[in-house]
Order: sequence, then structure tokens, then C-alpha cells
Amino acid sequence: MTTIATVPAGTPGHCPVSPDALRGVERRQTNPSRWNGAGWASFVGDLRGRGVEVLEDAATRAVFATDAGGTAYGLPHGVVIARSAAQVSALLHAAQRHRTPVTVRGGGLTTEGESVAFGGVLLDMTGMNRVLHVDSDALTVRAEAGIFWHSLAEELRRHGLDYLSAPLNLTSSVGGTVNVGGIDVNSPRLGCSADQVVAMQVVTPTGAIVECSDATNAELFQRVILGYGQFGVVTETTLQVRRYTPLRMRYFYYTSLRAAIADLQLLDANDASDYSGILTMMDRAVNLLVAFDSPAREAEFNARWRPRLRGHGEVAFAIRAAGYYALRPWKVGEALYIYRRKRELFPQFQRPEFLRGNDMHDRTVVFSRAVWKCWGSRQMVIPDLATSAETFIEAVERGNAVCRKYFAHYTLYCVGIKLREDHGAHYEMSCIPPGATGRAYGCEFEPMTRGGAYSRDYLQSFKNEIYDIGVDLGASYYRFGGMMKGYIRRVFGDEVVDRHLAMKRAADPAMILNRDVIF
Amino acid sequence: MLGLAKKSLPSNDFAACTGCSLCLLACPVWRITHDVRLTPHGRAKALQHGLAASDLVESIGACTFCGACEPACPEDIDLIGMIGGLRRQMWELSSPASPARPRGAVVSRPSPTRTRNVFVANQMLRDSSSTLARVVSLLGVTVVEDDGADMSFALETGMSVSPDRIDAFTESLRRMKRIIVADGLLFRHMRAWLPRAPIQSLGAALSRLPVVRRNLLATDLYVIEPRGYHADYTRQVRHYDALRAETGCTINLDLQRIAIPATAHNLSHRLGHDVANDAPHAQWILHGRRVARIVVESLGDVSVFEQIADCPVVHVAHLGDVPDTRARPGALR
Repeated sequence: MTTIATVPAGTPGHCPVSPDALRGVERRQTNPSRWNGAGWASFVGDLRGRGVEVLEDAATRAVFATDAGGTAYGLPHGVVIARSAAQVSALLHAAQRHRTPVTVRGGGLTTEGESVAFGGVLLDMTGMNRVLHVDSDALTVRAEAGIFWHSLAEELRRHGLDYLSAPLNLTSSVGGTVNVGGIDVNSPRLGCSADQVVAMQVVTPTGAIVECSDATNAELFQRVILGYGQFGVVTETTLQVRRYTPLRMRYFYYTSLRAAIADLQLLDANDASDYSGILTMMDRAVNLLVAFDSPAREAEFNARWRPRLRGHGEVAFAIRAAGYYALRPWKVGEALYIYRRKRELFPQFQRPEFLRGNDMHDRTVVFSRAVWKCWGSRQMVIPDLATSAETFIEAVERGNAVCRKYFAHYTLYCVGIKLREDHGAHYEMSCIPPGATGRAYGCEFEPMTRGGAYSRDYLQSFKNEIYDIGVDLGASYYRFGGMMKGYIRRVFGDEVVDRHLAMKRAADPAMILNRDVIF
Repeated sequence: MLGLAKKSLPSNDFAACTGCSLCLLACPVWRITHDVRLTPHGRAKALQHGLAASDLVESIGACTFCGACEPACPEDIDLIGMIGGLRRQMWELSSPASPARPRGAVVSRPSPTRTRNVFVANQMLRDSSSTLARVVSLLGVTVVEDDGADMSFALETGMSVSPDRIDAFTESLRRMKRIIVADGLLFRHMRAWLPRAPIQSLGAALSRLPVVRRNLLATDLYVIEPRGYHADYTRQVRHYDALRAETGCTINLDLQRIAIPATAHNLSHRLGHDVANDAPHAQWILHGRRVARIVVESLGDVSVFEQIADCPVVHVAHLGDVPDTRARPGALR
């Protein structure tokens, strides 16, 4: 019988599971080692003495056994439901003293096990979810960081407001999102969610409660934004918001990824639409979606930019697709898949209760539900590449070839991300690629795994091949933590990683906070 | 044994849960506690990882059966069936030999009726003779003697309902031209027991009437009874969307078009062990809104809103017989 050794906090462990079974990168602890539980009882006693409740029953721990990816499994020794910054402070202070790992979880929508606790404490931030203040004049909102984007939207809508951009998945938490990015179809104009944070309250790994922004405690602010939870627990955020508007959607269909991406970048570069992105069924049905906040913007698009797009309307595309598959009868399976997929997908975007004439209301609900209905699964891998505008087409085409190699069916989702010149320090060692200026681009490669049976090694090999492209192109990744952290040094280089590791050791001497995510 | 027909209702079970958390956004228990363990998501994840009903007693008891989670679930999991099943398991565990019948005992009470438009009232309406009379008059229905209250109680608490009892209850209803049901939980199950019968929830039936639509104002807050609404979501979401578009009224729907319950009575409350504090739910419905009048489908919501709002609260059946209240909008007390 093989004994799996336990290791102390902050020490990368040896991976005993098939270290040579993977193609691509040499495996580096893709499944984090479990903490050995040393001193747990005295840690819990300490916490209870400070009035912090620790839930140790099996039913509670089981709720958090995996994340949305469903391929990483681990159990915490106990769960703390966050209720206040003071409570989080007490928890982290005790964790430092007892060297007990703390894994922070928001919506749990990570796919690489980043929000799974392999022993220690699981801190469930969704217990801190109140909207604290809405300033309709300054267009800002202050909220606790465990709030879901949807819950924030519910509150903002009562004031006629909306957030700027947020993940398409509305059960992401605000705090979790600002730690990693947050990409929306309006990110080409408005940037990622993390760039919309005006100020934050952070509990540092040693338990200090600190307010920070670009003007106050700027260094902490820079490290926590896009910091993958390494430098503190975000407990409150002040975000920029905007007036609510419904939107008007337009779809254009392509058979060429290259043409669709070129048109996407043309629109983005010229601020031709308020929302833009690409969603595909493999590489045969490529949908460029654009949308507008007002009829005036749509009219301007129709006059100036629509004639320059190479995409087709639905009918013209269907005729072309029929012609393509008529000449390739051996691809009938693919044609039928696309047809079935269209019938499944389109009604989700056209639910009448969300449409008023040409306007779609509450797009975020429509998108979020469609994402889960049509792409959700118990097991999900979504490797991605984030590149400069110049290398994006190559990245997508190479990634597409990898998808074709591994899976019968898949989806690509491409979107631009406007960068802020003054946020260079935020972007270091993050999902924003090092060489990008002005606007970066991201592509997610999502295989349709529902109904299939894939081993973890097969999925890991697929992810590795996608990420190898990123190393090649000097790109970055949205999901470089957890099981993909072996790529961090390859893509950012030792100098940057060692510098961040030194900062982490200074900020978190016992290396207890989200210890398995990055370092 | 009782079971929902799988044709017209969601058919997946907890094993299909992907952990998306969309159910949380609609769950009134989550809204108050923000404790994922007490939600459908928490129960499904615990069950997926090997826990049993006996490990989830608090969570199973906390559910209010409002049904909001079910239309929110992208996996079409039969969440109400799931919680009903867990409650039955709990019941069987607590009294394996001879289940006691604490209240609303399951008895056979067939009730033949000669008319073909019938109304299955609930106890609250029976206690309010003026509202019941108004409902009967507006809808042109006859109130059936057997209101199925014992079955509704059993369904919510997890007690067994015998097939004989269901047959006795449904037998006389099979030939009806129109069946209107006040109890949202019973309505859900009757749609499964009588799949071809023309069954409507009381709120949907009343809000279709011209007199109601005529008297519903843009300054009104209209409060849907959630159990019936969620049990027939696909049809009713469109009906109420049209009602909102026609009258301009505000409705207790969230951004997902899920009805926010004004009351969130859980099992303990129904068993008489606890009195739930409903104010936070009703306060959230009113939060940020200025309304001149509150129109409710469920009589149980009247007192809740009367306690917190400075404006009239009326049952939808009385819309045609109350003075026009186009006065200044009221606010939370």
C-alpha cells in the first residue's frame, strides 16, 4: 500500500500520482498536497475562544468538497462562514499562530481547485453579502465582498443602476472576481471587473484590517487586485457602477475564426459597439455578437461598420453551411450536432419574458442561465489563453487545433479586455499578458464533456497543450492557479515569480492564505 | 407511494447538480441566513458526497417549499420532489413503526359535486367568508368540500399519502371543466395527479379577469403567490409578464423572473413549533420601491405587508370592489 506523505504548510509536496503520465509540461504538483492537521484542536480552541464558530461536521465540509470544475476534490478540517472583517481578522491571526492553512471561497466557480481546501480551514465568504451603500450621484456602490454579482445587480436595479462589467456567471462573488479579473462582453470598452474597484477593505494574512486604494495603501491594493488571494482577504469593495440600460443584440455568423476575430478587433479598435464577443460551435459556426446600449449607437454601427463585416445573417449562414456539409457527407455527425446545438441554444437567448421589442432586459440573467444550461456540467475544464491583440488570432487557431485533437465538440469564447494604463502594477503576474497594451484578448477553450467519460490525466493533457501555446506566445492565462500552477514560472519567469514569492513570504510568514493556489 | 409524474415536471435528481448556485439567488432561506448548507445547492452537494437525510435535518426542515429554486435550476432538477423525498426519509427515520399524525390527519373524504367549474379552497380562504364569496362570484365556481388540506400538510411534512386518498380526492375532479386551486403546494401535485385536467392556480385565474386587470394600477405592487407560480412557471412567467406590460404594475419578481415570497414559513412553523419572521422578505420586496397599494394573491401575505407598509393591502379578489387608491405612493414604515 502506498503511503501518501503529508507536508507542512508552504512546502510544495511530491506528487505520487503518475508523474510521467502527462503530455506537455512536466507535472508539478497538479493536485495540492493535503495539510497534515498538526495542532488543529488547539487552533479550533483558540478560535472558539475568540468567538469564531468552526463547523467541523461532515455535512458542512462535504458541501465544499469540490469546485465548479469538479475534477479537484479535497475536504477542509473545518468551515468558517465569514460574517465580519473582525471575525476574518481573528481567524487569520490565529491561523498564523498555529500555521493552519486557510482557503478562501466565494462562489466556488473555480475550475482548477483554487477554492478547494485540502485540509485546514475553508473560509466561506458568501456569508458577507450585504450592500452597504449606494451612491447614485457618484455612481459607486460599497458592498461586502462575498456578495454574488447577481445579488448586487438586484440591489442596484432598485436604484436604476447596474454594474459596469462582471463575469457572465452571476454566482461569482465580487471578492473572488477582483482577485482574478472578471470578463464580460463589455470588457472591450470597460475593462475587467477588477479594474472597476475604487477601494477595498482587506484583511491581511496576519489579520490587519486595512482600507486600500490607488491613493491609500496603494501597494497592498496593487497586490490584492488580480492577486489570486495571496495577499489578503477582500472583505469590502467600492465599485464603479452606471445607469441601467437594456441592450439590443445583433448576431453575425462566420465559418472562419480568422475572419470573425479580425472583425471583432476591428469593432473593438473603433469603439463601434458597446458589447462584443465571439461564441462558437467548434470552428464551423462562429458567432460574433455585438450589442448596444442605445438605438443611436446601433444606428451608427449600421451606417459605418456593418457594411465592413464579413459575417452573415442567420439564413445566409444556414444556406452556406448546408452547402458545405452537402459536399462533405462524412461530416454529417458534425452538421447534426451544430443543428441540435442551435435548437438548444437559441431559445435560451430569446426568452420572451426578457425581451421588450428589440431590447433585451437583464442580459446578465439570460447569459448566466444559458451558460449553465448549455455549457454547465459536473466536470468542466476551461483552459484559456490571454494574449496581446497581435498574437490573438494565432493563439486561437492553435488552441482550436488542440480542441479538435482531443474532443468531438467544443466551444470557443473570445473577448477583448480594455487595459488601464495606470494599472500596470495591478497587472503584473496576472491574467493580463505582460506584453499587451491598450487591449488584451482572451479565449476560453471549453470541451463539451457532458455524457463523456474522461480521465483527469486526459483533461490535464488537453489543458497542458493549450497552455504550452501560451508559453510559446508569451501569453498569460485566466486560470493559472490550482492544478495549472506549474505554468506560472514557465510563463512569467523566475525573476517575477521569485519577487512575488518574497512579497508573499513577507506578508504571510506562515504561508497560510490560499497556499495551494499559486505558490 | 406518492410520487410526482415525471412527464410535466423536472426529472433530474441531486446527482445532476453542477454547483452553479443559481438556486441560491432565488432561495428565501438563503436570503435570510446566507448559509449554503440550508439551500438546495448545499443539500445536493452533501448528498453527492455521501451524506444521508439524517445528516441534513436542519437543512431539510428549513425549506419553505416555495419552489423558487426549481425554475432557476438549469439542470431541471426536481428540487421540490427531492426535498419531499428527504422529508419522507426523515419522517420514516423518526417513527418507523406507526407514523403518528400530528395534525391534518390523512383521511378519506370524497366529495362529489354537480358543477363542472370547481374551486379547491384552502383554510385561510374558508376562514375569510367575504373573500371566499368574492372569489366564487368572480370565477363562477363551486367550492368543493374536500380541500385536500390533509394531503397538503402531509406533502409538506413528509408523511405518506396513500394512493387511495389521492384517488378519492381526484376521482370527482377528473370530469371537471375547470379546477382552480388555492393551495400552491397542492396545485403542484394535482398537476401531476391529473395531467390532462384544466387546473389553474387561484392567482393566475383571478389575474386573468378583466375586472382585475382593469383595476390594477401602475402604482400597485402585485404580489404573486409563489408556490403556485413556480409549479407552473413556464406558462405563468409569460402570463405575469403580460400583466405587467398591460397594467404597468410592479410585481414581486426578481431579475430571474422568480417570485420573491413575502412569507417564508418553514416546516417548524407549519408544525406549530415556531413563528417565522416574515418581515425581511416583505421588506426586500418593497425595498427601493414606492407603491400606492399592495395587491396580494395569498391572504397570508396581507398581515405581513400591513405591518410594514403605509399603504392599503388588498386581496386580488377585492380589486373590483375597493376605492381607487391612486393617491400618493406609500413607503416602508
